[in-house]
Amino acid sequence: MQALPATPCARSRPIATPHQHQPSTIRNGLLAALPPQDLARLRLGLRPAELPFDQILFSAEGVVEAVLFVESGMVSLIATLDDGKQVEVGIVGREGLVGLPLAFGDDRSLVEARVQQEGTALRMNAADLRDGMGESAALRSQLNRYALAFQAQVTTTAACNAFHPVAERLARWLLIAHDRADGDRFPMTHDFLSMMLSVSRPAVSIAAATLQNAELIHYGRGRIEVTNRPGLEAASCGCYHVARREFARLLGNGGGAPRPR
Amino acid sequence: MPPEDAAVRNGLLAALPPEELERLRPRLRAVELPFDQTLFPADGVVEAVLFPEGGMVSLLATLEGGDQVEVGIVGREGLIGLPLVFGDNRSLVEARVQMEGTALRIGAAALRDAMEASAALRLVLNRYALAFQALVTMTAACNARHALEQRLARWLLIAHDRAGADEFAMTHEFISMMLGVRRPGVSLAAGVLQKAGLIRYVRGRMAVTDRPGLEAAACECYHVARREFARLLGTGAAPPG
Repeated sequence: MQALPATPCARSRPIATPHQHQPSTIRNGLLAALPPQDLARLRLGLRPAELPFDQILFSAEGVVEAVLFVESGMVSLIATLDDGKQVEVGIVGREGLVGLPLAFGDDRSLVEARVQQEGTALRMNAADLRDGMGESAALRSQLNRYALAFQAQVTTTAACNAFHPVAERLARWLLIAHDRADGDRFPMTHDFLSMMLSVSRPAVSIAAATLQNAELIHYGRGRIEVTNRPGLEAASCGCYHVARREFARLLGNGGGAPRPR
Repeated sequence: MPPEDAAVRNGLLAALPPEELERLRPRLRAVELPFDQTLFPADGVVEAVLFPEGGMVSLLATLEGGDQVEVGIVGREGLIGLPLVFGDNRSLVEARVQMEGTALRIGAAALRDAMEASAALRLVLNRYALAFQALVTMTAACNARHALEQRLARWLLIAHDRAGADEFAMTHEFISMMLGVRRPGVSLAAGVLQKAGLIRYVRGRMAVTDRPGLEAAACECYHVARREFARLLGTGAAPPG
Protein backbone atom coordinates (compact mmCIF):
# COMPACT_ATOMS: atom_id res chain seq x y z
CA MET A 1 0.00 0.00 0.00
CA GLN A 2 1.45 3.27 -1.03
CA ALA A 3 0.38 6.64 0.32
CA LEU A 4 -0.75 9.24 -2.14
CA PRO A 5 1.55 12.24 -2.37
CA ALA A 6 0.59 14.90 0.14
CA THR A 7 -0.83 18.09 -1.26
CA PRO A 8 1.04 21.07 0.13
CA CYS A 9 -2.03 23.25 0.60
CA ALA A 10 -4.07 20.50 2.16
CA ARG A 11 -7.32 20.69 4.06
CA SER A 12 -7.17 24.25 5.43
CA ARG A 13 -10.39 25.51 4.01
CA PRO A 14 -11.90 28.72 5.27
CA ILE A 15 -14.81 28.16 7.53
CA ALA A 16 -18.12 29.95 7.18
CA THR A 17 -17.13 32.31 4.42
CA PRO A 18 -19.63 34.91 3.27
CA HIS A 19 -19.54 33.22 -0.17
CA GLN A 20 -22.11 30.76 0.97
CA HIS A 21 -24.91 32.55 -0.82
CA GLN A 22 -25.28 30.49 -3.96
CA PRO A 23 -26.73 32.38 -6.90
CA SER A 24 -28.94 29.43 -7.68
CA THR A 25 -29.28 25.87 -6.61
CA ILE A 26 -27.52 23.30 -8.73
CA ARG A 27 -29.82 20.46 -9.70
CA ASN A 28 -27.32 18.40 -11.68
CA GLY A 29 -26.28 15.42 -9.60
CA LEU A 30 -22.63 15.34 -10.67
CA LEU A 31 -22.04 19.00 -9.89
CA ALA A 32 -24.11 19.00 -6.71
CA ALA A 33 -21.89 16.25 -5.29
CA LEU A 34 -18.73 18.33 -5.63
CA PRO A 35 -17.14 20.05 -2.62
CA PRO A 36 -18.46 23.65 -2.46
CA GLN A 37 -15.08 25.26 -3.16
CA ASP A 38 -14.54 23.11 -6.28
CA LEU A 39 -18.02 23.96 -7.48
CA ALA A 40 -17.49 27.66 -6.83
CA ARG A 41 -14.42 27.65 -9.08
CA LEU A 42 -16.13 25.60 -11.81
CA ARG A 43 -19.16 27.87 -11.84
CA LEU A 44 -17.14 30.50 -13.69
CA GLY A 45 -17.08 28.20 -16.71
CA LEU A 46 -20.72 27.14 -16.56
CA ARG A 47 -23.35 28.81 -18.74
CA PRO A 48 -27.07 28.03 -18.60
CA ALA A 49 -28.40 26.47 -21.79
CA GLU A 50 -31.83 25.48 -23.00
CA LEU A 51 -32.60 21.95 -24.13
CA PRO A 52 -35.52 22.43 -26.54
CA PHE A 53 -37.59 19.38 -27.41
CA ASP A 54 -36.18 17.29 -30.26
CA GLN A 55 -33.04 19.41 -30.68
CA ILE A 56 -29.94 17.54 -31.81
CA LEU A 57 -27.13 18.56 -29.45
CA PHE A 58 -24.51 16.84 -31.55
CA SER A 59 -24.94 14.49 -34.47
CA ALA A 60 -23.59 10.98 -34.90
CA GLU A 61 -19.85 11.14 -35.60
CA GLY A 62 -20.12 14.87 -34.98
CA VAL A 63 -17.82 17.18 -33.07
CA VAL A 64 -18.49 17.66 -29.38
CA GLU A 65 -17.68 21.25 -28.40
CA ALA A 66 -18.95 21.30 -24.86
CA VAL A 67 -20.30 19.12 -22.12
CA LEU A 68 -23.82 19.71 -20.88
CA PHE A 69 -24.57 18.99 -17.24
CA VAL A 70 -28.29 18.34 -17.45
CA GLU A 71 -30.40 20.24 -14.90
CA SER A 72 -33.78 19.05 -16.11
CA GLY A 73 -35.28 17.15 -19.01
CA MET A 74 -33.87 14.12 -20.75
CA VAL A 75 -31.49 13.50 -23.62
CA SER A 76 -31.31 10.33 -25.71
CA LEU A 77 -28.08 8.94 -27.07
CA ILE A 78 -28.83 7.25 -30.33
CA ALA A 79 -26.80 4.97 -32.57
CA THR A 80 -27.42 5.23 -36.31
CA LEU A 81 -27.07 2.16 -38.47
CA ASP A 82 -26.13 2.06 -42.14
CA ASP A 83 -29.73 1.86 -43.30
CA GLY A 84 -30.40 5.11 -41.43
CA LYS A 85 -32.35 3.34 -38.71
CA GLN A 86 -31.74 4.72 -35.26
CA VAL A 87 -31.64 2.90 -31.96
CA GLU A 88 -31.42 4.46 -28.55
CA VAL A 89 -28.54 3.12 -26.48
CA GLY A 90 -28.47 5.47 -23.50
CA ILE A 91 -30.37 8.16 -21.64
CA VAL A 92 -29.08 11.15 -19.72
CA GLY A 93 -31.02 13.22 -17.20
CA ARG A 94 -29.90 15.42 -14.38
CA GLU A 95 -27.89 12.56 -12.86
CA GLY A 96 -25.37 12.94 -15.66
CA LEU A 97 -23.84 14.81 -18.53
CA VAL A 98 -23.90 14.79 -22.29
CA GLY A 99 -20.53 14.84 -24.04
CA LEU A 100 -18.53 12.11 -22.32
CA PRO A 101 -15.88 11.97 -25.08
CA LEU A 102 -14.61 15.39 -23.99
CA ALA A 103 -14.01 14.12 -20.48
CA PHE A 104 -11.74 11.48 -21.99
CA GLY A 105 -9.70 13.59 -24.33
CA ASP A 106 -11.71 13.05 -27.51
CA ASP A 107 -13.95 15.50 -29.33
CA ARG A 108 -16.04 13.18 -31.48
CA SER A 109 -19.14 11.22 -30.64
CA LEU A 110 -20.22 7.97 -32.24
CA VAL A 111 -23.79 8.59 -31.17
CA GLU A 112 -26.27 11.37 -31.72
CA ALA A 113 -27.54 13.29 -28.69
CA ARG A 114 -31.14 14.42 -29.02
CA VAL A 115 -33.42 16.10 -26.50
CA GLN A 116 -36.34 13.92 -25.65
CA GLN A 117 -37.87 15.89 -22.81
CA GLU A 118 -37.21 19.61 -22.87
CA GLY A 119 -35.21 21.08 -20.05
CA THR A 120 -32.13 23.06 -19.17
CA ALA A 121 -28.46 22.34 -18.71
CA LEU A 122 -25.23 23.95 -17.57
CA ARG A 123 -22.78 24.10 -20.43
CA MET A 124 -19.02 24.02 -20.11
CA ASN A 125 -16.73 24.29 -23.11
CA ALA A 126 -13.86 21.92 -23.80
CA ALA A 127 -11.07 24.20 -22.54
CA ASP A 128 -12.85 25.03 -19.28
CA LEU A 129 -13.59 21.36 -18.73
CA ARG A 130 -9.95 20.47 -19.26
CA ASP A 131 -8.84 23.13 -16.80
CA GLY A 132 -11.54 22.13 -14.35
CA MET A 133 -10.49 18.48 -14.49
CA GLY A 134 -6.88 19.52 -14.05
CA GLU A 135 -7.70 21.43 -10.87
CA SER A 136 -10.37 19.32 -9.26
CA ALA A 137 -9.71 15.71 -8.28
CA ALA A 138 -13.33 15.53 -7.15
CA LEU A 139 -14.55 16.46 -10.62
CA ARG A 140 -12.25 13.87 -12.23
CA SER A 141 -13.57 11.24 -9.87
CA GLN A 142 -17.21 12.18 -10.53
CA LEU A 143 -16.69 12.03 -14.29
CA ASN A 144 -14.89 8.69 -14.06
CA ARG A 145 -17.64 7.23 -11.93
CA TYR A 146 -20.32 8.59 -14.20
CA ALA A 147 -18.56 7.04 -17.21
CA LEU A 148 -18.70 3.65 -15.48
CA ALA A 149 -22.35 4.08 -14.55
CA PHE A 150 -23.21 5.12 -18.08
CA GLN A 151 -21.26 2.14 -19.39
CA ALA A 152 -23.41 -0.04 -17.13
CA GLN A 153 -26.53 1.46 -18.65
CA VAL A 154 -25.40 0.74 -22.21
CA THR A 155 -24.23 -2.74 -21.21
CA THR A 156 -27.60 -3.50 -19.71
CA THR A 157 -29.33 -2.15 -22.80
CA ALA A 158 -27.26 -4.48 -24.99
CA ALA A 159 -28.22 -7.50 -22.91
CA CYS A 160 -31.83 -6.41 -22.63
CA ASN A 161 -32.20 -5.89 -26.37
CA ALA A 162 -30.95 -9.43 -27.00
CA PHE A 163 -33.29 -11.13 -24.59
CA HIS A 164 -36.39 -9.36 -23.44
CA PRO A 165 -39.87 -9.02 -24.96
CA VAL A 166 -40.96 -5.59 -26.17
CA ALA A 167 -43.49 -4.98 -23.38
CA GLU A 168 -40.84 -5.55 -20.69
CA ARG A 169 -38.39 -3.30 -22.52
CA LEU A 170 -41.05 -0.62 -22.88
CA ALA A 171 -41.79 -0.79 -19.16
CA ARG A 172 -38.08 -0.46 -18.39
CA TRP A 173 -37.78 2.47 -20.69
CA LEU A 174 -40.81 4.23 -19.21
CA LEU A 175 -39.36 3.83 -15.72
CA ILE A 176 -36.14 5.50 -16.84
CA ALA A 177 -38.11 8.34 -18.43
CA HIS A 178 -40.37 8.66 -15.38
CA ASP A 179 -37.32 9.00 -13.12
CA ARG A 180 -36.22 11.99 -15.14
CA ALA A 181 -39.57 13.65 -15.77
CA ASP A 182 -40.95 16.36 -13.50
CA GLY A 183 -44.14 14.55 -12.70
CA ASP A 184 -46.13 11.50 -13.69
CA ARG A 185 -47.13 12.84 -17.10
CA PHE A 186 -44.68 13.52 -19.90
CA PRO A 187 -44.75 13.91 -23.67
CA MET A 188 -43.90 10.81 -25.68
CA THR A 189 -44.50 10.20 -29.35
CA HIS A 190 -45.00 6.86 -31.05
CA ASP A 191 -42.06 7.62 -33.31
CA PHE A 192 -39.78 8.11 -30.37
CA LEU A 193 -40.88 4.92 -28.69
CA SER A 194 -40.44 3.04 -31.92
CA MET A 195 -36.86 4.34 -32.24
CA MET A 196 -36.12 3.75 -28.60
CA LEU A 197 -37.11 0.13 -28.70
CA SER A 198 -36.17 -0.38 -32.32
CA VAL A 199 -39.45 -1.98 -33.24
CA SER A 200 -42.19 -1.01 -35.67
CA ARG A 201 -44.96 1.39 -34.64
CA PRO A 202 -47.59 -1.36 -34.59
CA ALA A 203 -45.37 -3.34 -32.21
CA VAL A 204 -45.13 -0.25 -29.98
CA SER A 205 -48.93 0.06 -30.01
CA ILE A 206 -49.34 -3.54 -28.94
CA ALA A 207 -46.80 -3.26 -26.13
CA ALA A 208 -48.28 0.05 -24.92
CA ALA A 209 -51.77 -1.44 -25.01
CA THR A 210 -50.57 -4.35 -22.87
CA LEU A 211 -49.34 -1.94 -20.21
CA GLN A 212 -52.42 0.24 -20.52
CA ASN A 213 -54.84 -2.68 -20.20
CA ALA A 214 -53.02 -3.65 -17.02
CA GLU A 215 -53.69 -0.04 -15.86
CA LEU A 216 -50.03 0.74 -15.37
CA ILE A 217 -49.96 3.67 -17.78
CA HIS A 218 -52.31 5.90 -19.64
CA TYR A 219 -51.18 6.75 -23.14
CA GLY A 220 -52.92 9.13 -25.47
CA ARG A 221 -52.26 12.02 -27.82
CA GLY A 222 -48.51 12.01 -27.46
CA ARG A 223 -48.49 11.94 -23.68
CA ILE A 224 -47.78 9.16 -21.25
CA GLU A 225 -48.98 9.07 -17.70
CA VAL A 226 -47.58 6.58 -15.24
CA THR A 227 -50.56 5.56 -13.16
CA ASN A 228 -49.14 2.60 -11.27
CA ARG A 229 -45.42 2.86 -10.64
CA PRO A 230 -44.98 -0.32 -8.56
CA GLY A 231 -46.93 -2.23 -11.19
CA LEU A 232 -44.73 -0.83 -13.92
CA GLU A 233 -41.65 -1.89 -11.98
CA ALA A 234 -43.04 -5.38 -11.74
CA ALA A 235 -43.78 -5.46 -15.47
CA SER A 236 -40.24 -4.39 -16.39
CA CYS A 237 -37.37 -6.78 -16.87
CA GLY A 238 -34.72 -6.70 -14.16
CA CYS A 239 -32.41 -4.61 -16.34
CA TYR A 240 -33.91 -1.42 -14.92
CA HIS A 241 -32.88 -2.34 -11.42
CA VAL A 242 -29.44 -3.59 -12.41
CA ALA A 243 -28.48 -0.27 -13.98
CA ARG A 244 -30.10 1.73 -11.19
CA ARG A 245 -28.12 -0.22 -8.61
CA GLU A 246 -24.88 0.56 -10.42
CA PHE A 247 -25.73 4.26 -10.52
CA ALA A 248 -26.51 4.20 -6.81
CA ARG A 249 -23.30 2.39 -5.98
CA LEU A 250 -21.11 4.63 -8.10
CA LEU A 251 -22.83 7.98 -7.66
CA GLY A 252 -25.11 7.52 -4.69
CA ASN A 253 -28.15 8.98 -6.43
CA GLY A 254 -30.18 6.00 -7.42
CA GLY A 255 -29.70 6.10 -11.14
CA GLY A 256 -31.65 9.17 -11.89
CA ALA A 257 -33.01 12.32 -10.56
CA PRO A 258 -34.61 11.58 -7.23
CA ARG A 259 -38.21 10.62 -7.84
CA PRO A 260 -40.46 13.62 -7.67
CA ARG A 261 -42.53 13.75 -4.49
CA MET B 1 8.11 -9.80 -15.76
CA PRO B 2 8.85 -10.15 -19.44
CA PRO B 3 12.49 -9.91 -20.51
CA GLU B 4 13.64 -6.38 -21.32
CA ASP B 5 13.89 -6.99 -25.03
CA ALA B 6 10.72 -9.02 -25.50
CA ALA B 7 8.39 -7.33 -27.93
CA VAL B 8 5.09 -6.36 -26.35
CA ARG B 9 2.18 -7.70 -28.39
CA ASN B 10 -0.58 -5.85 -26.56
CA GLY B 11 -1.66 -2.88 -28.67
CA LEU B 12 -2.16 -0.43 -25.81
CA LEU B 13 1.24 -1.09 -24.28
CA ALA B 14 2.94 -1.12 -27.66
CA ALA B 15 1.55 2.36 -28.32
CA LEU B 16 3.34 3.85 -25.31
CA PRO B 17 6.56 5.80 -25.82
CA PRO B 18 9.48 3.35 -25.30
CA GLU B 19 10.76 5.00 -22.12
CA GLU B 20 7.30 4.91 -20.52
CA LEU B 21 6.92 1.26 -21.41
CA GLU B 22 10.31 0.49 -19.86
CA ARG B 23 9.22 2.19 -16.64
CA LEU B 24 6.06 0.12 -16.61
CA ARG B 25 7.70 -3.22 -17.40
CA PRO B 26 8.90 -4.09 -13.88
CA ARG B 27 5.27 -3.87 -12.73
CA LEU B 28 3.97 -6.22 -15.43
CA ARG B 29 3.77 -9.93 -14.82
CA ALA B 30 3.08 -12.50 -17.54
CA VAL B 31 0.03 -14.69 -16.81
CA GLU B 32 -1.87 -17.42 -18.61
CA LEU B 33 -5.43 -17.04 -19.83
CA PRO B 34 -6.68 -20.66 -19.78
CA PHE B 35 -9.75 -21.52 -21.84
CA ASP B 36 -13.05 -20.90 -20.05
CA GLN B 37 -11.47 -19.40 -16.93
CA THR B 38 -13.51 -16.71 -15.19
CA LEU B 39 -11.13 -13.81 -14.57
CA PHE B 40 -13.64 -12.01 -12.41
CA PRO B 41 -17.31 -12.83 -11.82
CA ALA B 42 -20.26 -10.48 -12.35
CA ASP B 43 -20.38 -7.94 -9.51
CA GLY B 44 -16.98 -9.25 -8.47
CA VAL B 45 -13.88 -7.44 -7.29
CA VAL B 46 -11.30 -6.46 -9.90
CA GLU B 47 -7.82 -6.76 -8.44
CA ALA B 48 -5.70 -6.16 -11.49
CA VAL B 49 -5.74 -5.05 -15.07
CA LEU B 50 -4.85 -7.61 -17.72
CA PHE B 51 -3.38 -6.55 -21.05
CA PRO B 52 -3.94 -9.59 -23.31
CA GLU B 53 -1.04 -10.59 -25.52
CA GLY B 54 -3.09 -13.16 -27.35
CA GLY B 55 -6.41 -14.98 -27.03
CA MET B 56 -9.81 -13.50 -26.45
CA VAL B 57 -11.87 -12.65 -23.40
CA SER B 58 -15.67 -12.20 -23.32
CA LEU B 59 -17.42 -9.74 -21.09
CA LEU B 60 -20.78 -11.19 -20.14
CA ALA B 61 -23.83 -9.62 -18.60
CA THR B 62 -25.92 -11.88 -16.39
CA LEU B 63 -29.66 -11.41 -16.43
CA GLU B 64 -32.05 -12.13 -13.57
CA GLY B 65 -32.92 -15.62 -14.74
CA GLY B 66 -29.21 -16.49 -14.89
CA ASP B 67 -29.05 -16.20 -18.68
CA GLN B 68 -25.81 -14.68 -19.88
CA VAL B 69 -25.16 -12.60 -22.93
CA GLU B 70 -21.94 -11.23 -24.27
CA VAL B 71 -21.68 -7.44 -24.39
CA GLY B 72 -18.02 -6.96 -25.26
CA ILE B 73 -14.90 -8.72 -26.42
CA VAL B 74 -11.27 -8.02 -25.58
CA GLY B 75 -8.22 -9.23 -27.41
CA ARG B 76 -4.71 -7.89 -27.62
CA GLU B 77 -6.01 -4.52 -28.79
CA GLY B 78 -7.30 -3.82 -25.29
CA LEU B 79 -7.42 -4.56 -21.60
CA ILE B 80 -9.61 -6.26 -19.05
CA GLY B 81 -10.47 -4.42 -15.86
CA LEU B 82 -11.59 -0.98 -17.05
CA PRO B 83 -13.23 -0.17 -13.69
CA LEU B 84 -9.75 0.09 -12.13
CA VAL B 85 -8.79 2.69 -14.72
CA PHE B 86 -11.74 4.76 -13.48
CA GLY B 87 -11.04 4.40 -9.79
CA ASP B 88 -13.54 1.63 -9.12
CA ASN B 89 -12.80 -1.97 -8.23
CA ARG B 90 -16.02 -3.73 -9.05
CA SER B 91 -17.27 -5.07 -12.35
CA LEU B 92 -20.88 -5.40 -13.42
CA VAL B 93 -19.91 -7.99 -15.99
CA GLU B 94 -18.13 -11.32 -15.83
CA ALA B 95 -14.87 -11.68 -17.74
CA ARG B 96 -14.33 -15.16 -19.14
CA VAL B 97 -11.62 -16.48 -21.41
CA GLN B 98 -12.99 -17.63 -24.69
CA MET B 99 -9.81 -18.33 -26.59
CA GLU B 100 -6.81 -19.23 -24.51
CA GLY B 101 -3.85 -16.89 -24.53
CA THR B 102 -1.56 -14.89 -22.31
CA ALA B 103 -1.66 -11.46 -20.75
CA LEU B 104 0.47 -8.96 -18.88
CA ARG B 105 -0.96 -8.24 -15.46
CA ILE B 106 -0.59 -5.13 -13.32
CA GLY B 107 -2.04 -4.78 -9.82
CA ALA B 108 -4.42 -2.00 -8.85
CA ALA B 109 -1.97 0.05 -6.78
CA ALA B 110 0.79 -0.21 -9.38
CA LEU B 111 -1.65 0.85 -12.09
CA ARG B 112 -2.72 3.88 -10.07
CA ASP B 113 0.89 4.96 -9.58
CA ALA B 114 1.70 4.40 -13.24
CA MET B 115 -1.29 6.43 -14.38
CA GLU B 116 -0.31 9.25 -12.07
CA ALA B 117 3.20 9.25 -13.50
CA SER B 118 2.42 8.85 -17.20
CA ALA B 119 0.23 11.16 -19.25
CA ALA B 120 0.75 8.86 -22.25
CA LEU B 121 -0.66 5.91 -20.31
CA ARG B 122 -3.67 7.93 -19.14
CA LEU B 123 -4.33 9.03 -22.70
CA VAL B 124 -4.20 5.55 -24.21
CA LEU B 125 -6.38 4.11 -21.45
CA ASN B 126 -8.96 6.89 -21.88
CA ARG B 127 -9.07 6.33 -25.60
CA TYR B 128 -9.46 2.60 -25.15
CA ALA B 129 -12.35 3.24 -22.76
CA LEU B 130 -14.09 5.27 -25.46
CA ALA B 131 -13.42 2.63 -28.11
CA PHE B 132 -14.74 -0.10 -25.85
CA GLN B 133 -17.80 2.03 -25.17
CA ALA B 134 -18.31 2.17 -28.95
CA LEU B 135 -18.18 -1.63 -29.12
CA VAL B 136 -20.81 -2.02 -26.40
CA THR B 137 -22.94 0.70 -27.99
CA MET B 138 -22.93 -1.08 -31.34
CA THR B 139 -23.70 -4.36 -29.62
CA ALA B 140 -26.76 -2.77 -28.00
CA ALA B 141 -27.98 -1.40 -31.34
CA CYS B 142 -27.14 -4.63 -33.16
CA ASN B 143 -28.96 -6.83 -30.67
CA ALA B 144 -32.07 -4.71 -31.12
CA ARG B 145 -32.15 -4.66 -34.89
CA HIS B 146 -30.24 -7.29 -36.74
CA ALA B 147 -31.05 -10.81 -37.84
CA LEU B 148 -29.35 -13.68 -36.11
CA GLU B 149 -27.21 -14.69 -39.13
CA GLN B 150 -25.91 -11.14 -39.42
CA ARG B 151 -25.05 -11.03 -35.75
CA LEU B 152 -23.37 -14.44 -35.92
CA ALA B 153 -21.34 -13.32 -38.93
CA ARG B 154 -20.32 -10.15 -37.08
CA TRP B 155 -19.32 -12.11 -34.07
CA LEU B 156 -17.29 -14.61 -36.11
CA LEU B 157 -15.39 -11.76 -37.75
CA ILE B 158 -14.44 -10.38 -34.35
CA ALA B 159 -13.33 -13.84 -33.23
CA HIS B 160 -11.46 -14.45 -36.48
CA ASP B 161 -9.58 -11.15 -36.03
CA ARG B 162 -8.30 -12.36 -32.69
CA ALA B 163 -7.72 -16.03 -33.46
CA GLY B 164 -4.60 -15.57 -35.55
CA ALA B 165 -5.75 -18.53 -37.68
CA ASP B 166 -8.69 -19.43 -39.89
CA GLU B 167 -9.71 -22.29 -37.66
CA PHE B 168 -10.49 -22.02 -33.97
CA ALA B 169 -12.35 -23.83 -31.20
CA MET B 170 -15.87 -22.63 -30.62
CA THR B 171 -18.56 -24.49 -28.68
CA HIS B 172 -22.25 -24.26 -29.44
CA GLU B 173 -22.85 -23.19 -25.87
CA PHE B 174 -20.53 -20.24 -26.21
CA ILE B 175 -22.08 -19.03 -29.42
CA SER B 176 -25.49 -19.37 -27.88
CA MET B 177 -24.46 -17.18 -24.96
CA MET B 178 -22.71 -14.73 -27.19
CA LEU B 179 -25.79 -14.05 -29.18
CA GLY B 180 -28.31 -14.49 -26.41
CA VAL B 181 -30.30 -17.17 -28.20
CA ARG B 182 -31.07 -20.82 -27.59
CA ARG B 183 -28.93 -23.50 -29.17
CA PRO B 184 -31.37 -24.47 -31.94
CA GLY B 185 -31.30 -20.84 -33.11
CA VAL B 186 -27.51 -21.04 -33.28
CA SER B 187 -27.61 -24.22 -35.37
CA LEU B 188 -30.01 -22.61 -37.77
CA ALA B 189 -27.93 -19.46 -38.21
CA ALA B 190 -24.67 -21.40 -38.50
CA GLY B 191 -26.38 -23.64 -41.09
CA VAL B 192 -27.23 -20.61 -43.21
CA LEU B 193 -23.61 -19.36 -43.20
CA GLN B 194 -22.27 -22.85 -43.84
CA LYS B 195 -24.57 -23.47 -46.82
CA ALA B 196 -23.38 -20.20 -48.28
CA GLY B 197 -19.83 -21.58 -48.07
CA LEU B 198 -18.62 -18.90 -45.67
CA ILE B 199 -17.73 -21.13 -42.74
CA ARG B 200 -17.30 -24.78 -41.84
CA TYR B 201 -18.45 -25.71 -38.38
CA VAL B 202 -17.84 -29.27 -37.23
CA ARG B 203 -17.48 -30.72 -33.75
CA GLY B 204 -16.70 -27.55 -31.92
CA ARG B 205 -14.23 -26.25 -34.53
CA MET B 206 -15.03 -23.19 -36.58
CA ALA B 207 -13.24 -22.58 -39.87
CA VAL B 208 -13.67 -19.31 -41.74
CA THR B 209 -13.54 -20.35 -45.40
CA ASP B 210 -14.63 -17.13 -47.12
CA ARG B 211 -13.69 -14.01 -45.20
CA PRO B 212 -14.94 -11.44 -47.73
CA GLY B 213 -18.21 -13.34 -47.98
CA LEU B 214 -18.50 -13.34 -44.20
CA GLU B 215 -17.92 -9.58 -44.14
CA ALA B 216 -20.69 -9.12 -46.67
CA ALA B 217 -23.02 -11.29 -44.60
CA ALA B 218 -22.37 -9.36 -41.38
CA CYS B 219 -24.22 -6.23 -40.38
CA GLU B 220 -22.28 -2.99 -40.55
CA CYS B 221 -21.91 -2.88 -36.76
CA TYR B 222 -18.65 -4.75 -37.21
CA HIS B 223 -17.20 -2.02 -39.40
CA VAL B 224 -18.54 0.85 -37.30
CA ALA B 225 -16.85 -0.39 -34.14
CA ARG B 226 -13.68 -1.23 -36.04
CA ARG B 227 -13.57 2.28 -37.47
CA GLU B 228 -13.87 3.78 -34.00
CA PHE B 229 -11.01 1.63 -32.73
CA ALA B 230 -8.87 2.70 -35.67
CA ARG B 231 -9.70 6.37 -35.14
CA LEU B 232 -9.04 6.31 -31.42
CA LEU B 233 -6.18 3.86 -31.20
CA GLY B 234 -4.88 3.49 -34.71
CA THR B 235 -4.86 -0.30 -34.50
CA GLY B 236 -8.18 -1.31 -35.90
CA ALA B 237 -10.44 -3.38 -33.73
CA ALA B 238 -8.07 -6.26 -34.02
CA PRO B 239 -4.46 -7.16 -34.27
CA PRO B 240 -3.28 -6.48 -37.81
CA GLY B 241 -3.21 -9.46 -40.13
